[in-house]
Amino acid sequence: MHPAKLLLVFCQWALHSNFGHAVRDSVWLFPAVEICHLLGLAVLGGTVLLLNLRLMNLRFPNEPVAELAHDVQPLMVGSLAVMLISGFFLFSSEAVKMYGNVAFRYKMIFLLLAIMYTFTIYRKVVMSGEGRVPLAWRVSAALLSLVLWAGVGFAGRAIGYV
Amino acid sequence: MFLTNFLRWLDATHFSQWMRGSILAEPIVESTHVLTLTLFLGFAVLLDLRLLGVVMRKRPVSEVLDQFNPYLMWGFAVMIVSGVLLFSGDPLSFYSTIFFKIKMILLVFAGLNVLIFNATIRKKVAEWDLAAKTPRAAKIAAVVSLLLWVAIVAAGRAIAYALPPP
Repeated sequence: MHPAKLLLVFCQWALHSNFGHAVRDSVWLFPAVEICHLLGLAVLGGTVLLLNLRLMNLRFPNEPVAELAHDVQPLMVGSLAVMLISGFFLFSSEAVKMYGNVAFRYKMIFLLLAIMYTFTIYRKVVMSGEGRVPLAWRVSAALLSLVLWAGVGFAGRAIGYV
Repeated sequence: MFLTNFLRWLDATHFSQWMRGSILAEPIVESTHVLTLTLFLGFAVLLDLRLLGVVMRKRPVSEVLDQFNPYLMWGFAVMIVSGVLLFSGDPLSFYSTIFFKIKMILLVFAGLNVLIFNATIRKKVAEWDLAAKTPRAAKIAAVVSLLLWVAIVAAGRAIAYALPPP
């Protein structure tokens, strides 16, 4: 089966699933899940911003990067989980429409890149000691993180407008 | 009534008409308002969690306050400006919804919470800067803040659903 066809089949499955129906048919469930998505956005965005500001030496100069990262990791992973789960429920209620939405596609591409980057290269830079990675590399790593996550956010905002 | 007259005047201004007529203005301002949640609310939540002793326990509370403050201020300024611009685009409709009124009242409470925190327990921050357990008053301020902001986000989101169709 062609990969695009597989995606469409997945979207159709999500649309006709029990939770797809539930979110679509309920008056308050969609807004309620959206509010969870927004609260997740605030916490995920806040921790990403904080860690990147620290990487660029702009905030908390006395706190080792790895220690700060370790400290906010549960918040970051937790809020990412909230966003992924709530996002999936929102998606399932109009999955086939999202299949054709160009902003949604960009959002998913940025999301995939952001997650892959965060848990590999970015993690490596963050967890290595201050002296071992030059500032220029740390700033680059922080900027790339900001660009990828901002891409997710802006594309996400655009879903409703395209 | 003064308020109604003001809203009617605002609704008739060139700016309000321009906001309603422009294809790009509303999406840009609304996206700014929503995405600045990461800066403002994200940092506010982190600060509240520090006051509760959940994150950054090794950093003095005074340092966390100092480090977050400029970003919280700028974030709040962007939220207020973008929020006022959004409101100006359709003031009568916004004001007609119960959720807008609820959100404004909750915002006043959130402001009072900050004022009370600054005027009381924050004044004595040197005494509990690195304490393993933060004082009860600081925890209460943090919990009140978290609850209010969750309600403010919820009310804000609900406004869009309650607006009369254009």
